[in-house]
Amino acid sequence: MARDPRHDVLFEPVRIGPRTMRNRFYQSPHCTSFGAELPGAQAHIRGMKAEGGWAAVNTEFCSVHPSSDSRPLVSARLWDEDDARNLAAMADLAHEHGAIAGVELWHGGCVAGNLETRLPARSVSQMNDDSLYSTSCYELDKAGIREIQGYYVAAARRARAVGFDIVNVHASECGSIMQHFLMAKYNRRTDEYGGSLENRARFWLETIEQVREAVGEDCAITARLCVDTLNDDPRGIRAPEEAYQFIQLADHLVDFWDLQAGGWVAAEWAGDDAVASRFAGEFSHREYIAAVRPATRKPIAAVGRFTNPDTMAEAIRSGVIDIIAAARPSIADPFLPKKIEEGRYDEIRECIGCNICASRFAQGAPIVCTQNATLGEEFRRGWHPERFTSASNAEKTVLVVGAGPAGMECAMVLGRRGMSAVHLVDEQDALGGSLRAISSYPHLGEWGRVTSYRRVQLDKLANVEVILGTRLDAEAVLTYGAEIVVVASGARWRADGMNGPTQSTIPGAEHDFVHTPEQVSAANGAIDGDHVLVYDTDGYFTAVGMAEMLLAAGKRVTVLTPYANFATFMFFTGEAFRVNRELRAQGVEIVPLHLLGEITPEGLRAQSVWAPDPVHWEADAVVLVTQREPRDALYHELRADPDRLTQEGIEAVYRIGDCLAPRTIAENIFDGHRLAREIDTPDPETPLPYLRELPDANRERSLQESIPGGPPAMRT
Amino acid sequence: MKVLVPVKQVARLGEDLVLEGPGPPQAEGWELNEWDAFSLEAAVKLAEGPPGGEVLVVTVGPERAEEALLACLARGADRAARIWDPVLEGADPLAVAAVLAALAATEEPEVILCGAQSSDAANAATGVALAGLLDLARVAVVDAIECNGDRLTVHRELEGARAEVLRVALPALLTVQTQINEPRRATLREIKQARAKPLVTLGLSELGLDPAGVLAAAGSRTVALAEPERGEGARMLEGSPGEIAARIAELMRADAGAL
Repeated sequence: MARDPRHDVLFEPVRIGPRTMRNRFYQSPHCTSFGAELPGAQAHIRGMKAEGGWAAVNTEFCSVHPSSDSRPLVSARLWDEDDARNLAAMADLAHEHGAIAGVELWHGGCVAGNLETRLPARSVSQMNDDSLYSTSCYELDKAGIREIQGYYVAAARRARAVGFDIVNVHASECGSIMQHFLMAKYNRRTDEYGGSLENRARFWLETIEQVREAVGEDCAITARLCVDTLNDDPRGIRAPEEAYQFIQLADHLVDFWDLQAGGWVAAEWAGDDAVASRFAGEFSHREYIAAVRPATRKPIAAVGRFTNPDTMAEAIRSGVIDIIAAARPSIADPFLPKKIEEGRYDEIRECIGCNICASRFAQGAPIVCTQNATLGEEFRRGWHPERFTSASNAEKTVLVVGAGPAGMECAMVLGRRGMSAVHLVDEQDALGGSLRAISSYPHLGEWGRVTSYRRVQLDKLANVEVILGTRLDAEAVLTYGAEIVVVASGARWRADGMNGPTQSTIPGAEHDFVHTPEQVSAANGAIDGDHVLVYDTDGYFTAVGMAEMLLAAGKRVTVLTPYANFATFMFFTGEAFRVNRELRAQGVEIVPLHLLGEITPEGLRAQSVWAPDPVHWEADAVVLVTQREPRDALYHELRADPDRLTQEGIEAVYRIGDCLAPRTIAENIFDGHRLAREIDTPDPETPLPYLRELPDANRERSLQESIPGGPPAMRT
Repeated sequence: MKVLVPVKQVARLGEDLVLEGPGPPQAEGWELNEWDAFSLEAAVKLAEGPPGGEVLVVTVGPERAEEALLACLARGADRAARIWDPVLEGADPLAVAAVLAALAATEEPEVILCGAQSSDAANAATGVALAGLLDLARVAVVDAIECNGDRLTVHRELEGARAEVLRVALPALLTVQTQINEPRRATLREIKQARAKPLVTLGLSELGLDPAGVLAAAGSRTVALAEPERGEGARMLEGSPGEIAARIAELMRADAGAL
């Protein structure tokens, strides 16, 4: 299929100062937790996107100095030449694939906890920050301001020296010293760096100017700017007012603008930057970018979780933006530009907006993606999202039982690896497994893209047959004729209230008015009773889905949870603040820090985690969102009789996904993918070891020996 | 009961077809015609019922069409025959029916079950033409079959939600509609075992036919195939969904005035 001519505009080159982007696709800076410490992983996650057609790829936020240390969250760093050398691998790989590479220079000021470096934080004013740990800091004097600006210049020079093409001065997402200077909320200075808008902009303008003077002949200069803080705080930034003026003030200093709205870290706007799909679709911040468009004739890059080339082309043609910036869409599909360029629209793996990628950063862990199992595995496992080797046992036939996320992914990858025949069989009459119900939860429709992408790909694979509406028992599996059997039969919610916090069941769970999430979603929330109590020890989206579904069915809803917050995992995905706010606004009563002790027709007995006295609750119905258990009976029945397996010609029986251990959708898809990638190893059940990027103890020892008495001086 | 099921291999849906000359389109992938999966299932069900029987599938097609026959053998057919001669390339329904009639004459099935049509040409003619050549009782677009000894009771769905119930004496030919049953899917074992079932290849001479006779039987011949010309004058509306909707409303209002 040829590319739609309407999308040609996306493939026009864009001149940005001394550099040229080959097309309009810009992988905006996004976290990976790889930093400069895992140079292989860093180089290859970005390199894959360069190979996939992105014209520019960027590091995550890149600390310019040890006085800005984000631990336990992982930033990139340009503290010294060692950091630069490690990041150089990324720039080299980007260049190999015809892309240019950028660094996003960051100093966190008061946001940085400096848990590693133990340096006291400095910022625009003396304050405590609410972003991460209520860190405190002291106010920068003029000499300190010069020092910080010097760090930016030194970092920019290091970046240029190792081949980076774009230097981005980060003043966005409410997590940067630059933005704190710009905002009256944080900037309480009375000297020429505080007060009027021009004064507040001074530090930022001077810094960009110094960076430009230092590297501007070789590097494109940009500034990632938050154009609207998306709240009604009068000390915030409004696009048509402050942001408009900031852009006018700095316009002569940048080659293009990298604009966004909202923040990620501070409580009051958390999650409004990389908005989850439950809240917003494509280019939801369009109005804020459009408001500042007249302020500049320089190219504007802006994010909008773009996955649809029509939306992208329209955003360009309407003139609002010039460069399609994307983090999450590039994570879900590093080959998004190539697929559009070649008209391979039906191969696009669209981001579902679940934000599991961001959740990993927030936990200090390596990035993953629900849709793209190879994300973050490019280097350490050598996985390519679009290339698959032919399996050395490709003559085998495979039966995959269960067409949920794990089963679909496994069958798809086995098909791509050329297995002679793969049958994907499911008892339901449609693909998707547990996702069928989940994507029908209120606001989670986009999650259905996990299934629709795989449906289209499976349909293209001549060696994969999808057989629905067919329940296979152990006997049917045994006589099916497959040499390899993969059981992906999913999990179910415990109906007896078994839960993590107490490791016990809940007495009374057997009553008819007590429901599992499956029962509630099958009834679309319309269960008996007006007042429903949802008991959540799971902490993620299921209980939220239950509450919203019950609300939509006209129920009064109370949520009880032993944790300090409802939907506590969603603090990692950036959804928790808004979910809690919106559910409360809709009348849901949320009762944290309570354990559900017993359910009786007369009422519920709960207990505060702080006090032993029972608390009485009344409700007409109860939904238990406590824990899932594997549906693994088929697997165990098959494995119980090795002789019969041999007799039927079955060489191996594996289990994957929730059937092995109930986990996130991302982990289930990874599990299915991993087994298929390694189906021809000597022991496919056991994952192959991955490459670890470890510091070298011998080198560390020699470093220490080289220091004449005393600890190493902090290098600046 | 011996049931003959003529089937056709068609281009796989969703594949890009290549048109070259008057011959049939060339595709990357091929599959069993959708309707034939239902006629096969109906045939296997008849043969499975008392007093038992045999299902013979036949196709008129080149070697690649054996894949379609293997799929039928995996789903319960007992034997298969492929008939081919270069003269049959792009043959019309009457020519194909003439060839099938020659095979039917030697096999003498009690029932012939055809799909109501093929998904590629959609002539819906081969089955009825075959009945005509064999002078058989025939019922088209059948959506239920019940066997009562030497008769079949069959349902046809008619327009306006009406149904016609007919009793047919054997031998007879039925063309089958897709709502008749839920075709079974073959297990991997059945697919493997299908390769051991009899599959014969027949030329025209083995059926007592010759190329000239087949050509003479044809009622039509394809002169050319071409992609439809792309129309002009379409305008693409752009903008947000709201803007596009407003623009459509505006255009409709303008058109209503013109009407």
